[in-house]
Amino acid sequence: MSAPLIWILLPFLAGALILFFLPEKYSSIAGGTLAALLSLAALIFPIDTALLIGSLSIKISASVAFFGRSFVLTAADGALLSMIYGVAAFWLICAYALDFEKRFAALSLMIVALLTASIAVEPFLYASLLLEMAAMLAVPLLVPVYQKAGRGVVRFLVYQTLAMPFILFSGWALAGVEANPGDFGATLQSGAMLGLGFAFLFGVFPFYNWIPLLLEEVSPYVVGFLLWSLTAFTTIFALGFLDRYAWISASPQISSAIVFSGTVMVVSGGVFASMQKHIGRMMGYAAILETGLIVLAMGLRSPRVVDVIFLLLIPRGLELVVWAFALSIIKRQAYSLRLSEVRGLARKYPLAVSALIAAHLSVTGFPLLAGFPSRLALWQELAGYSLTVSFWVFLGVFGLLVAATRALAVFVMADENASWGINESWAQIIMLSLGVAGLFAIGIFPQILQPLLADLPALFLHLGR
Amino acid sequence: MLILISSSLLFLAALVLMTLRMSSANARIAWLVAVGGGALALISVFMWLAQMPFEFSLPAWQPRALFVNPILFRADGLSFPFVASISALTLAILLTAVARPTLTNPFAWAGALALGGLGLLAVTANNPFTLLLIWGALDLVELVAQIRSVDGPAQNERVVISFSTRIFGIGLLLWANIVSVANGSAFDFQSISPNAGLYLVAAAGLRLGVLPLHLPYSAESILRRGFGTSFRLISAASSLALLAHVPAGSLASTLTPFMLALAVIAALYGGWMWLRAPDELIGRPYWVIGLAALAVISALSGNPLGAVAWGCALILVGGSLFLSSIQHVWLNRALLLGAWSLSSLPFSLTGGAWLRALGFFAPFVIAAQALLISGFIRHALRPAGRDSLEAQPVWMRTVYLSGIVLLVALQFLLGITGWGGALQVGAWLHALLASLLAAILVWATPRLRILNPIRAHWVGAAASGVNSVYRNFWFVYRALEGISQTIAATLEGESGIMWTLLFMALFILYLTQGLP
Repeated sequence: MSAPLIWILLPFLAGALILFFLPEKYSSIAGGTLAALLSLAALIFPIDTALLIGSLSIKISASVAFFGRSFVLTAADGALLSMIYGVAAFWLICAYALDFEKRFAALSLMIVALLTASIAVEPFLYASLLLEMAAMLAVPLLVPVYQKAGRGVVRFLVYQTLAMPFILFSGWALAGVEANPGDFGATLQSGAMLGLGFAFLFGVFPFYNWIPLLLEEVSPYVVGFLLWSLTAFTTIFALGFLDRYAWISASPQISSAIVFSGTVMVVSGGVFASMQKHIGRMMGYAAILETGLIVLAMGLRSPRVVDVIFLLLIPRGLELVVWAFALSIIKRQAYSLRLSEVRGLARKYPLAVSALIAAHLSVTGFPLLAGFPSRLALWQELAGYSLTVSFWVFLGVFGLLVAATRALAVFVMADENASWGINESWAQIIMLSLGVAGLFAIGIFPQILQPLLADLPALFLHLGR
Repeated sequence: MLILISSSLLFLAALVLMTLRMSSANARIAWLVAVGGGALALISVFMWLAQMPFEFSLPAWQPRALFVNPILFRADGLSFPFVASISALTLAILLTAVARPTLTNPFAWAGALALGGLGLLAVTANNPFTLLLIWGALDLVELVAQIRSVDGPAQNERVVISFSTRIFGIGLLLWANIVSVANGSAFDFQSISPNAGLYLVAAAGLRLGVLPLHLPYSAESILRRGFGTSFRLISAASSLALLAHVPAGSLASTLTPFMLALAVIAALYGGWMWLRAPDELIGRPYWVIGLAALAVISALSGNPLGAVAWGCALILVGGSLFLSSIQHVWLNRALLLGAWSLSSLPFSLTGGAWLRALGFFAPFVIAAQALLISGFIRHALRPAGRDSLEAQPVWMRTVYLSGIVLLVALQFLLGITGWGGALQVGAWLHALLASLLAAILVWATPRLRILNPIRAHWVGAAASGVNSVYRNFWFVYRALEGISQTIAATLEGESGIMWTLLFMALFILYLTQGLP
C-alpha cells in the first residue's frame, strides 16, 4: 500500500461513491468519518517506515507513479495530512448538522484529494493543474442544478484559471534563471509571472472581488470551505516555490513586493470589512485579511517563517468552519444576511451568534482565542521588520475589530422583553460547542499544536533553516 | 505558588457553587461555601507578606522561538495592595449578600468569586502578554454577564460600545508591545522601552474611560449591587495595575502634558458628575472615572505608588459605599472614614499619592479630589432609598456589618503597612487644601442650587454630553462607508475585471520603479 493511494485515491473514489451510490442522509457523516480516519491514520502510521504490530509488519510506501508522473508523500507529510483531513472531517460533520445535500460531502472529499495530490505531485509545477482541477470541481458546489452561475462564480473561475498559465510559464522561466543566474531580464520576467500567478491564486488586491460576491450569491458554508482549502494548499504550494528557488526569498525587492501585497490585503480587507452591512461579506473580507497575513509572513525573510505560517494556517481552518457553520444556521432565519435582518438574533440563536463572534474575534487576534498566538508571533516578527508596516497591518486588524463590534451590536439589539431561547438543533449545539471549545483551547494552550508544528518544517529543505 | 493558591481558592469556590446550584442544594450551604472560599483566599493573601517578592510562571507556549515571554505573575509591593483590596472586596460582597434576600443567587456569587480570581491574576501579571490574556478573559466574562442582564436595544448597544472601548485598550497594549520590540527591548515590565510607556498609559486610560474621556459603562444601575460592584471595581483595578508599571523614562515625552491635561479634565468631570449624581449606584461610573483619572495623573507625574493608592481607594472606599444597602447610624459614620482615605493626608491610604510635583495642574487636581471627597460624603450620609437592619436577626446584622467594616479596616491597614506607599507623609499641604475645599463643598451642597443632585433620568450616556461628541465621528464613518461602497461596487460590477487589470498594470509599474 502506498501513501498516495490512501490519502489521494481513496478519498477521491469515496467521494465518487458517495455522489452516485450513498443515500443523502448518510453522505456527510460517511465522508466525515472517512476524513477523520485518514487524519488519525496520518498521525499514527509513519510513511515509508516499517511498523510492527505483533508479528505483523506494515509499511506504507511513499510514492506511486501515474502516467509518467509520480506522487510522493513522505514521512514529513504525515502531520500535514493529519491536519488537512482533521479539518476536512470537521467541515463534513458540520455539514451533517446542517443537513447539507450529498453533493457537498462528495465533492469536498474529491477536492481535498485533488489538493492533496497537488502537494504530492512531481514535478511540482503540475500542482497548478491540480489546483485548477479542484477549482473546476468546486463549480458544481457553487452553482445549484438548473441555475445560472452568478457573477461571483464566473469571477472565481476566471481568476483561478488565469493563475495556471502564469505559474506554468514562470516555472519554465525559473528553470532558465537557475541555468543563467546573472540574466536580470529573465529573473524579472519569471518573478513577475510567478507573482501574478500567486496573486490570482491568493486573491491579492484587487483580485479578490469574487470572495464577497460569492458570499452574497451562494451558501457561506461552501464558500468558507473553498476559502479554507484553496488558500491552505496554495500556501503550501507557494512555500514550495520559496523553498526550491531560494533566490526569490533572498531578493529584497521581491520580499518587499510580497510584504506590500500582504499589507494591502490586510488593510483593504480590514477597512472594507468595517464598512459592510452584510455579515457574509464581513466573513469574506476577514478571510482576505487572514490570507494577507499569510502573504505578509512569507515576505518577512524570517528564519521562523514556516512556524509562523502554519501557526496561522491551522487555526484558520477552525475559525472558518465555525464562522461558516454559524452563518449557515443564521442564514436559515435571515436569508439575505444583511445587518438589518439579523438584528436581535442573539436571543433566538445564542450559540450560533456566540460562535460567529468568537470566530470573528479570533481572526482579529483577540486574546484567549485561536488566532491570538499566531498574531502575537507575527507581531513580534513584524516589529523587527518595520514599524510602518506594523502600523498599517494594525489598522487593518482594527477595521476587522470594528466589523466584529458592529455585528455584535446588531445581533444583541433585541427589542425589549425579547426572550432568550435556543433554536439550534442538538447536532448544531454539539458542533458549535466543539468548535468554540477548540478556538479557546488553541488560544490558551497553543502547545497542543506542537506535535503537528514540530514536523512541518521538515517539509522544506531550505526554508526557515 | 501562593498566587495560584489564592486565585484557585476563589475559582474552586465558584466551581463548587455552580455544582451545588445544579444539584439544587440549600442556598445557605451555597453561601457558606462562597464565604469560606472568599475568607480562605483573603487569609492566603496575607500569607504572601511572609514571602514577598515572589513569582509564579506557567509553562511557556511553544514553539519557544516564537513565544519569548512566559505567562508570569509576580507578588510585590505594587501588586499586593491591589490583591488585598480585591480579595477583601470579594469577601465583602458575599458577606453583605445576607442583607439582600431577594438576590440570593449562587450564580451571582460564583461570578463574583470568579471575577475576584481573575482580578488577582490581572493585578499580579508581570508582563503585558500575561495581562493581555487576563484582560481578554475579564472582558469576555463582563460582556456575557452584561448582555444577559440588560434589556432593550439602547442598553445592549451600550454594552457592546463599552466592550469595544476595552478591546481597543487591549489593542493599544499590543501596540506598545510592537513599539517596544521594534526598539530592541523585551516586552516585560522591567525592561520595556521608554517609547512604549505612554501607550501603556493610553491603554489603561482608554479602558478606564479617562483618555479620551468617555463613559465606558452605562450610567444606570443595570447590574446588581454585589455583582455589579465586583464588575465595575475589579475591571477598573485590572487596568489601573498597568499604571504601576509605566517606565519613568517614558514620561519625558512632549505628549505627557497633553495627556495630563486630558486626565485632569476627566478627573474634574468625573468628580463633578459624582457630586451631583442622585445616588451612588447611578454615580458609580463617574466615581470610577474620577478616581481612575487621579491614578493616571499620579502615574504621569512619575509616581506609580500614587496610581496604586488611588486604585486601592477606588476599590475599598467605593466598595464600602456601593455595598451599603442598609440604613444604620454607626455604619454611616464608619463609611465616612473613607473620606480620610481619599484625602491623601499623611498616613492615609492615599498618603503617597502626590509624591511628585504636579506644577500647573495642581489646583485643578485639588479641585477634582475635593469634588470626589465631598461627593463621597454626600452619598455616604444619604439616608433615602436604603433598607433598615432592625428587622433582621442578630447574626445577619453582624455578618453584614463585618463585610463593610472589613473594607473600611483594610483602608487603614494599607495606610500604615504592607507596601511601599504605606506610612507616607506625602504632599500634606495639597491634602489639606483638598480636604478644606471638600468640607466647603459639603457645607455648600444643600445651600447652592448648582451643587444639588440632578434628576436620575438626566444622568445618562446620551444626556451627559460627552458621548454626543463621539457621535460626530459617525459622520466621518458614514463618509468612509460611502467611499468603500463605491470602490466595492466598481470592482464587483460588470467592468470589474477591466478595473482589476488596470490595478494590476499599476501595481507592476509601481514594483518595477523599485528595481534597478
